[in-house]
Amino acid sequence: MSGVTTTSRPIARYRSTSLRTKQILLAYLLVAPVVLWRMFTTVYPFIATLLLSFQDNSPVRRKAEYIGLTNYQNLFQDPRVRESLTFTLSFTAISVVIQVLMGLGIAELLNRRFRGRNILRAINLLPWAISGIVIGTAGTWIFNTDYGLVNDIIWRISGQRPLWLVDPNSAKLAVVMIDVWKNTAFVAVIFLGGLQGISAELYEAGKIDGANGLQRYRYITVPLMLPLVLSMTIFISIFRVLTFEIIYALTAGGPGSATSVLSYAVYLEGFRVLNFGYASSIAMLLFVIVLIIGIVGFVFLRRAVSRL
Amino acid sequence: MTGFQIGKQGRRILFGGLVLLFVLIIILPIYYIFLTAFVSGPRLFTQPLTYFPTNLSFERFTTVLDSLPIWRYMFNTIFLAVSSALIALLICLLAAYAIVRLDFPGANLVLVGLLASSMLPPFTTVIPLFQMYQSLKLMNTLQGLLILYVSGMLPVTTWVFVSFIRQIPNEIEDAARVDGAEFWQLLRHITIPLLRPGMVTMFLINFIAGWNEFFIPLIFARGIESKVITMALSEAQSVGSSTQFYQNWGNMSAVAILATVPVFLLTLFFQRQITDGISSGAIK
Repeated sequence: MSGVTTTSRPIARYRSTSLRTKQILLAYLLVAPVVLWRMFTTVYPFIATLLLSFQDNSPVRRKAEYIGLTNYQNLFQDPRVRESLTFTLSFTAISVVIQVLMGLGIAELLNRRFRGRNILRAINLLPWAISGIVIGTAGTWIFNTDYGLVNDIIWRISGQRPLWLVDPNSAKLAVVMIDVWKNTAFVAVIFLGGLQGISAELYEAGKIDGANGLQRYRYITVPLMLPLVLSMTIFISIFRVLTFEIIYALTAGGPGSATSVLSYAVYLEGFRVLNFGYASSIAMLLFVIVLIIGIVGFVFLRRAVSRL
Repeated sequence: MTGFQIGKQGRRILFGGLVLLFVLIIILPIYYIFLTAFVSGPRLFTQPLTYFPTNLSFERFTTVLDSLPIWRYMFNTIFLAVSSALIALLICLLAAYAIVRLDFPGANLVLVGLLASSMLPPFTTVIPLFQMYQSLKLMNTLQGLLILYVSGMLPVTTWVFVSFIRQIPNEIEDAARVDGAEFWQLLRHITIPLLRPGMVTMFLINFIAGWNEFFIPLIFARGIESKVITMALSEAQSVGSSTQFYQNWGNMSAVAILATVPVFLLTLFFQRQITDGISSGAIK
């Protein structure tokens, strides 16, 4: 994702200005659908959300009036929003760390030469292919106290049946487990691509120089994979901050609002309470977090890459 | 020498054990949902669970298909997934081609702007879109959903095509141009054939994303005209003999299977293309 500049040569050695003008017009015509589509469906409504966040706006109360920063003041005193913010961040941090570490391990596994490797790669992709809503809904059943798969295994080992979705801490754990189950595959596939990009000759050279497996990993794999691992960490952090479906289907933010996340708070406030103004201010808080991760990540990544 | 061999053997066992654990963690929950859907009556619901039941039946599937408009949901889902993936493919290919090959002022701005716009997730745009859709009469319509499905696919698809097109050497196109090929001929006879594998991959990934979409229909689809299969899961839980515990979970599992089998088949069949597609989006 680093090279933004177009280095390729232009298509035509244009002989006249009119040809050049034609070419530019054609180019604008070709990019217009994508650009206008995004303008209409994201840029414009985003600005509208920003404006809404300064309003007391509710279709049920038939209200739409400017109230300045009141929504934002309420936002930071709202215990539910605070809880959602805390869980959004802690869930993201924990889930991302687990997924990056496990993703690296699974990528190593999938990169080995053995019979059935392609089948294993396909199996790895299955959780990625299932809809988040299917996994979340099935998850309520898998974590069922009496007949759930998870408790059946735990019960066979320890004779106990923990309450998963009723207790705040274990509900949080269940959310992380489901998220890791679904999304590690994606990370692993990308890391696999990275591992495959490392030339086998480097490892051969390392072997000849007498480096053992661990040393080869430390001095060849780690430095070559580091930029990819860092950029993926940022990338999936943004995805995790926007987690919605698993929460919606598995816990509905509960018990209480222990597993509520900001995206879910936007949904509840916007489409259950129909409080558009306040919901918009929560959405802006979510946007600021995405933006911070993006910017910090970008700066951090540049520095890390330039140091290599 | 023996020590070395034991080490090798031990490593082999460790590796096999890890693979087995990995496969079990992925397959077991999926198998469990299949069981819940196919086991007849309350037979699964025992302590400990019965993992190898004897009586299997389709009763949950018939219940669900009889009482919910599953086929209509399926039609809507397929229509949305196929058409959004196709539209995204077409317009992103053209845009990416212009960005890479037609040297125009602002090409980089378009590319960076697209990527930046993906920092604006649906949660930060959905409320004004909801208001807009109500006044434009796009609520509960397939075309309304289609517009938003496509929107979500545009940044990544364009980005991936840009990286694919950059990999095509200029010389190939130069040679064709010397032969007198014009822009559209060049695109049709040179670029598109070379990009075909990438196009298949992006179509598959976007199709799966469209198939699995939930948040957009949750907000904008209200009735049978536009509801999709991912919305049928919660409906299935309250269908038929809704007082029976085992029936609710069985129905839910049956719909979960209907909503998942198509993407499973695609994934198993096109594992390589999908794997390439995911990593090419991130690495290049």
